[in-house]
Amino acid sequence: MKNIARELRAPVPVSESFDARVMDAVRSMPRYGRLGLWSRLTTPRRRTFTITPLTLGLIAAGIGVFALLGAAHAYVDVNRAAKPIVAALGSKKAEPAQRVQFVLVAPDAKKVAVVGDFNGWDSRHAQYQAQHRGGGVWSVTAPVPVGHHRYSFVVDDSVWVVDPSAPRLVDSDYGVANSALLVEHQQ
Amino acid sequence: MRALLVLALLAGVTPLRTLRAQDPRLAARLDKATLTAVSAVIDSARVAKLPTAPLVDKALEGAARGSESGRIVNAVHQLSARMATSRGVLGASASADEIKSAAAALDAGVGERDLARVHAACGKRPVTMSLAVLTDLIGRNVPIPTATNVVLQLARSSISDSELALFQRNVRADIDRGADPGVAATTRARGLVVRTTPASPKPAE
Repeated sequence: MKNIARELRAPVPVSESFDARVMDAVRSMPRYGRLGLWSRLTTPRRRTFTITPLTLGLIAAGIGVFALLGAAHAYVDVNRAAKPIVAALGSKKAEPAQRVQFVLVAPDAKKVAVVGDFNGWDSRHAQYQAQHRGGGVWSVTAPVPVGHHRYSFVVDDSVWVVDPSAPRLVDSDYGVANSALLVEHQQ
Repeated sequence: MRALLVLALLAGVTPLRTLRAQDPRLAARLDKATLTAVSAVIDSARVAKLPTAPLVDKALEGAARGSESGRIVNAVHQLSARMATSRGVLGASASADEIKSAAAALDAGVGERDLARVHAACGKRPVTMSLAVLTDLIGRNVPIPTATNVVLQLARSSISDSELALFQRNVRADIDRGADPGVAATTRARGLVVRTTPASPKPAE
């Protein structure tokens, strides 16, 4: 035991240039001065990392999860952004609709439907199919939401006809007129 | 790496945002190119805080009429521009119905200045009915200056919406019976204003 202790206490023989190399390395290190912490944070230092394939895989998986969470968050945002449109369209359904009678005299017609912004201009919409009442008179009473609307009759699935008894809306976009309808809240 | 991740997310999410924010009826009735163009106009309108439902309706109307793609896109774009002008004239507090009716009036040939005059004449009342009557009169061949003056006169006289509707029906009936549109409108308006204006007190003798 004494021998081991003596061996450990004995000075280690190093080459003469060793001290000089150590001191050179110490002098080349950055000095932090009075702003030591700031200098430590801002002074660039070279670092060497080693990474195993497993670690790389784990990092990639983490990024993938992050991307999925981000996309999911964006999806929620998109749905929120979509709400104004859905609400705007849905509001017509949500608002109290008034029952409006549409009448067209079309003696030669075989089919008459009402299309407008209240039914997506869908001539097959079941609620807006006019019935022949006899004598060439076609009519349907259907719910129309409160608000300002444009509409037309579609005769025999092909001919668009404005309502002769309703206000007329000039439409330069499609070069045809529509009928106007203002449905107000019932007092 | 982080920049790439952000780019990847943006690239992946932007089309999703565009597609998800649409009315499903558009995708069902428009071809892909038309849908993309129409969606761009609608997105711009949404950013400008304009009502988007009329734009969807306009595109659906075009599809129902069998209009070609370019015409549908142009129609939606033009309507968006008219609604922006309308909102500029009527102010940010204008309702969607007011903006729609103002856009229809612009389409009928009413100028921005006249639109502003009608708006001012209506005061705090919604301008929707007045503009609907104005557009109807123009659609029935009443000259635009005449129709504008008639509606201004009625709006300044605080005529109620139901009286406006009655006026509209009477003018329509007169025109259908063969009356000159301008004369019918001015005559009916004069009668309505006289009827609703309180009689002036007799001068002291």
